[in-house]
Amino acid sequence: MDLSFLLLALGQLISPQTIAYALAALGLAVQFGFTGLLNFGQAGFMAIGGYAFAITTLRLGFPFWLAVLSTIVATTVMALILGIPTLRLRADYLAIVTIAAAEIVRYVVKTPDLIPLTGGSDGLNGSSTTFDALNPIPPGSYGFGPLRYDENDLWIIIVGWIFVLLVALLVRQLMRSPWGRVIKGIREDEDAVRSLGKNVFSYKMQSLILGGALGGLATIINIIPTSLQPDNYGTQTTFFLLTIILLGGATTVFGPLVGAIVFWVVLSLADGVLSLLISSHVLPISTVQQGPIRFIIVGVALMLIVIFRPSGLVGKKREAFFA
Amino acid sequence: MRPDTTRRRTGPAALLTVFATAALALILAFAGGTPANASSSPSPSPNASAAQSIQVWIRKASDRSNVSGVKVTVSSGSFSQTVTTGDDGKSLVGLPGGGTYKVQLDEKSVPEGAGSVPNGLNPRQVVVSEGNQAVPAYFILVAAGAGTTPTPGATSGSSTAGDSDAGPSASPFELVVPRIVTGLIFGLLLALASIGVSLIYGTTGLNNFAHGELVTFGALMGYVFSAVLGLPGIVAIIAATVLGGAFGYLQDLGLWKPLRKRGVALVPLMIVSIGLSLALRYIFQFIFGPDQLVLPADNRAALILGPVRLRSTDIISAIICIVLLLLVAFVLLRTRIGKATRAVSDNRSLAAASGIDVEKVIRTVWVGAGALAGLAGVLIGYYQSLRWDTGASILLLIFAAVTLGGFGTAFGALVGSLVIGVITDVSTVFIPNNLKYVAALVVLILILLVRPQGILGKASRIG
Amino acid sequence: MPDTTASAAQAPLIEGAPAPGVKKVDPMVVADGVQRTFGGVHAVDVDHVEIPRGAITALIGPNGAGKTTFFNLLTGFDKPNKGTWSFDGKPIGGVPAYKVARRGMIRTFQLTKALSMLSVMENMRLGAQAQPGENIARALIPGLWKPREQEITDRARDLLARFKLDTKADDFAASLSGGQRKLLEMARALMSQPKMIMLDEPMAGVNPALTQSLLHHILDLKQTGMTVLFVEHDMHVVREIADWVIVMAEGRIVAEGYPDQVMSDQAVIDAYLGSHHDTDLGDLSEEQQAELLDETQAAVEREEDGTHG
Repeated sequence: MDLSFLLLALGQLISPQTIAYALAALGLAVQFGFTGLLNFGQAGFMAIGGYAFAITTLRLGFPFWLAVLSTIVATTVMALILGIPTLRLRADYLAIVTIAAAEIVRYVVKTPDLIPLTGGSDGLNGSSTTFDALNPIPPGSYGFGPLRYDENDLWIIIVGWIFVLLVALLVRQLMRSPWGRVIKGIREDEDAVRSLGKNVFSYKMQSLILGGALGGLATIINIIPTSLQPDNYGTQTTFFLLTIILLGGATTVFGPLVGAIVFWVVLSLADGVLSLLISSHVLPISTVQQGPIRFIIVGVALMLIVIFRPSGLVGKKREAFFA
Repeated sequence: MRPDTTRRRTGPAALLTVFATAALALILAFAGGTPANASSSPSPSPNASAAQSIQVWIRKASDRSNVSGVKVTVSSGSFSQTVTTGDDGKSLVGLPGGGTYKVQLDEKSVPEGAGSVPNGLNPRQVVVSEGNQAVPAYFILVAAGAGTTPTPGATSGSSTAGDSDAGPSASPFELVVPRIVTGLIFGLLLALASIGVSLIYGTTGLNNFAHGELVTFGALMGYVFSAVLGLPGIVAIIAATVLGGAFGYLQDLGLWKPLRKRGVALVPLMIVSIGLSLALRYIFQFIFGPDQLVLPADNRAALILGPVRLRSTDIISAIICIVLLLLVAFVLLRTRIGKATRAVSDNRSLAAASGIDVEKVIRTVWVGAGALAGLAGVLIGYYQSLRWDTGASILLLIFAAVTLGGFGTAFGALVGSLVIGVITDVSTVFIPNNLKYVAALVVLILILLVRPQGILGKASRIG
Repeated sequence: MPDTTASAAQAPLIEGAPAPGVKKVDPMVVADGVQRTFGGVHAVDVDHVEIPRGAITALIGPNGAGKTTFFNLLTGFDKPNKGTWSFDGKPIGGVPAYKVARRGMIRTFQLTKALSMLSVMENMRLGAQAQPGENIARALIPGLWKPREQEITDRARDLLARFKLDTKADDFAASLSGGQRKLLEMARALMSQPKMIMLDEPMAGVNPALTQSLLHHILDLKQTGMTVLFVEHDMHVVREIADWVIVMAEGRIVAEGYPDQVMSDQAVIDAYLGSHHDTDLGDLSEEQQAELLDETQAAVEREEDGTHG
């Protein structure tokens, strides 16, 4: 029996993908969990942010920090464009507009006419050079067993986790401040908050911008060790994030982090177990049929969490997202 | 532009003729099975050239003009045939049976300056089912260098087709009218699905993100009955509709009704529907695989009116849609259950207080929505192709249509669907084909900016 | 302020005889030509009305008279088709709701909007103005907002004690009874030290034992110089605490006057008798239910004809 998948699953504990999803989920938690904004287009914010970083780096030769700034600018512009018309409307309009906008982004960056800029369906590769240039870790191979990391892998994992933890602390500070009080009030009843003299629209916009920027920054972490693939930012990505925050607890700061780790470790374990069962002919299915199973697991898990444990793993029952 | 005015005047008349002819075709179809089955004789004769065929069509990306004299080889196993495209850029290749064929364009035979096929699209694998006629294998030639240096000129050249070189290319009229017609047909198909979304939203408040899977379910049932079991198309269509209704009923009974009883709020309900959508979609992929599936049909043009070329399936689909939509309108306007449905949509508690059995209304709406979505699915399967995610890929268009028409109004959904269908297809005249859904979604966002309650919706009342 | 207004309530409120739209000696709110239509029906159609400063004014009228809609318009929660109005001498027509609140006109809601997932204390703090920590950048530096937070908390404790909610300060608002929520909402509205408070049916759903204490709180507000406007159904309540009564019916102001006069006004009696009373649908006979259903259907059909929308 080949049990190396157990170590691979362990690797998911700290992988850049987990970091990226934790960060993007934290952004979605700010919008959806804390403020009650139905942003179903977080994948679109991730894509816009990622393309802003990769394009400014590869095509314009921006230094790392300027490219990061471009990501924040790009996601902010997207939040403004989507938020101004919809944040005053019924909540589900934002859901439909954001999900539509995310798909627009994906279709547009994939269009062959834009290949010189966006790389079309193939996406963009090699935007990690400016980040790797800052790497102080001496070249070599680190890790144990089958979990080997070169100096650049290690660099992004270290920087990524430090960044995510810093952001989480920052968000926690925000949510414990009077600003967070207004935000939580809006989630429950925006008219009540409005009647107390708070500019609800402005707070919702700030929340949308903050959460969107975290989504964009997450993509930078995701693409540095790999490449930017447009189809990684389809609607299913948003739904994964939704599952992650509901798994961890949508109204907590560390829930999205825990949720992302559990999500990817469980999926990786499930893949490993399935491969094992298929290769040893215990399960009478083909390897092609193995692919969809993880999505079926996610879909069923999402339904079960919402129905049976809306407060998530970390959240207190009292703070369940759905009262 | 001027020569078009006379022709444009004939437009409506041509459309009327289309519908009249189509009505005739429908009668014929019901009288003696679908034309598809009529043409593909059941007797297995491997040498018959007309049982299956691939339609090769080569055009230039710049102005969509046809390219003649190009050699194309269609091969599979021992079968291999090379043809040369005619003046219309086309060539029909008869095939010995179903299967996967390799279609390779001989780049050397392409006329000087006509461009080349973008990387990865030549050769192409084309799946042909038993009895499929004129399965498309279309090639678009991109001008040399356009792929690497997109000068503004090159981009605009592809979008403003036929303005500069008026010679062999199609006139704006010839480009737009066929797309309006196909767009209307697509809009009718969308309407079948949209009305269900709208009615479910109206009666329960749920934005059903799993509606696309009801559509896919219908498409797949159509596939099972026609392609797998080999039954006539009309049986497949009826089966998809009936099973779609049953699927809707079971969903409501097993999931939505218990959740309503628990008093689950609307946002979590919406998220449950997202989970359901994800799970169902990939269960479909698990069972039917990740590839395109094709319903056996005759893909040759059955009706040619000027620039409008319609297949028999297009015409039959349009007729079925119109009949069904009229039926839905009749039910909603004239029957007791229809009136009750509208009363529940308008004010649920008042309707309940007035003695209407709200649960029964909702159950009926789910069955109806499932049946209409199932029908939409199988017809969309005939219209384009189908896959495990066919419904999911049009879900946003459905939402766009419903939002456009005003949430919760069935007739708004119909109007919205037609608008979205036409926008989607006509936009391909101006923007690349792969961006056609983008046009519809951009229109959705713009409409929300100007008139958030939709075209036919009423302004919501505060307080 | 408090000493002058305390006597103002004793002095005559109006110039001339009571009549709809009568001029007030010292108006806090003046509204002119305010119209709001829903689908062709005038929900509110007020030619002229003034609300006296430093007094308790009751807004009464049968169901559907447009009282709540008028409330929503004045506080910026709804937009009129036309009309202007001023608050404390400054025009506030078209001013967004949150700015109306900041100018000192705070409202409560018919269905209480106590935020049940926040603690009672957090509800109170949310009512305060001028908290620098509500700015996202300053929120990150506690030193910038902690001192103000302490002031806010002190004021909240005083108010909670006054409203006998001090023992509940750290509980979630969800744990409060209906009457306690009304009290919390009122106390929260006072956190911003408003000039005028607008109460939409403050007694609705309140346990009778709490009604008296609520009435006293409202009278206390007047003692501190505040202007009060409230919507109420219960005539006993109106008679007991109101200084002035404005009667609405079918969107219009049909009568104004001192409580005792208004109660005997024929126009008021007509307005009440001429409309549906609170109808409990459970008591309807089958024919009546069928009739209601027909009405609903007719409404649906009107909408589709486009005449309604």
